[in-house]
Amino acid sequence: MQMLMTFSGDDAVFGHFGATGGYALAARRAMYEFGTGPETWKKIAMGQRKWANLNPDAMMYDKPMTAADYDNANWVVEPLRLPDNCLITDGGRAIIITSLERARDLKQSPAVIMGIGHHNPSTVIAQSEWMAGPTGAKKAGEIAFSMAGITPADVDACEIYDCFTYTVEITLQDYGFFKPGEGRDWFNGGTIEPGGRMPVNTSGGQLSEAYFMGLTPIAEGAMQIMGRCGKRQLGPETQTRSPEIILCSDNGGILQSHSSILLRRL
Amino acid sequence: MPYNKPLPKINSDNRPFWEGCREHELRFQQCKECDHVRWPPSIICPQCHSFEINWLISKGLGRVYTFAVYHTAFHPGFADDLPYTTAVVKLDEGPHLLTNIVDCQPDKIKCDMPVEVIWEDVDEMVTLPKFRPSSSV
Repeated sequence: MQMLMTFSGDDAVFGHFGATGGYALAARRAMYEFGTGPETWKKIAMGQRKWANLNPDAMMYDKPMTAADYDNANWVVEPLRLPDNCLITDGGRAIIITSLERARDLKQSPAVIMGIGHHNPSTVIAQSEWMAGPTGAKKAGEIAFSMAGITPADVDACEIYDCFTYTVEITLQDYGFFKPGEGRDWFNGGTIEPGGRMPVNTSGGQLSEAYFMGLTPIAEGAMQIMGRCGKRQLGPETQTRSPEIILCSDNGGILQSHSSILLRRL
Repeated sequence: MPYNKPLPKINSDNRPFWEGCREHELRFQQCKECDHVRWPPSIICPQCHSFEINWLISKGLGRVYTFAVYHTAFHPGFADDLPYTTAVVKLDEGPHLLTNIVDCQPDKIKCDMPVEVIWEDVDEMVTLPKFRPSSSV
């Protein structure tokens, strides 16, 4: 409660609390500006759940999600339902970073960092004039792609920071995978699911695997490149492209800060 | 029943705003140099870095920039209000104010809907500026 009050400041006077309340404001503005909404977010929630159902470490491993499960779920802060929210997890996850020279001698073939970008618009959500994007993902992505010398067309899969389903949509949109509002079609037909043409959050992500902040996406990106993902491994196992390049993201506050990192096979 | 919701933390920056609310006036700092109307209050203009201000009294009219409908009480003081609506109102003078929309069913609220201020007197010190659909529409 103390943390919630500190986080919300005087906005708590009006009953504005926490991350769900802030992202609900952003998501609602996005619905108004480019016509997104629960029909788009449902595809993200269900798609990620299918990946979690292949991941024995995922909190939602044995809990499939149907469209009816999503539609009938309780609102937390409308327009966000319970399955639009990430999990709460006790645990930890780590990645080890070393020089490429040292990494070449390791037993496991490493994931190599191709490009990194950061951009931090930093505006507190109630003051933001760009709640519906572009978020920090736009510039952070451009910097990372420029450093790597590639474009989004070269990416085989994405591991996107997914505090909420909407965060996945706005991040992919700002990276340029689709134009504002076209996510509704882009996510159709299992695009991000096992067997899809652009797998996203292949562990189940923070929505369906576990919430380890930015470590959930980047650790999964590294593990997929290293080929250590068992039944959810990208490639023939899941009828997806064998990953040469994976794009990972992290995001802080209510869309206030953003990091992008591109990983490739050695 | 005693008021059991959080109250604003009044400090030297925001005191004129909250004192204005007690008198049913929305008071915002306006930069003397560049005319920028700012919120929240601060000692320096975020646009031109001037320290010089006038206090502007808002007409209390604006539009819903965005809103959210709470179906969960994260604080026990709001449990009896569910579902209630938070909103960011874009005032005609410029500032974005986080507030509540009242006197309106949540499913009737839309972005860009015109709204007007309505005052909720809480105690001798605090009056909250809330908003309802504009009566002139």
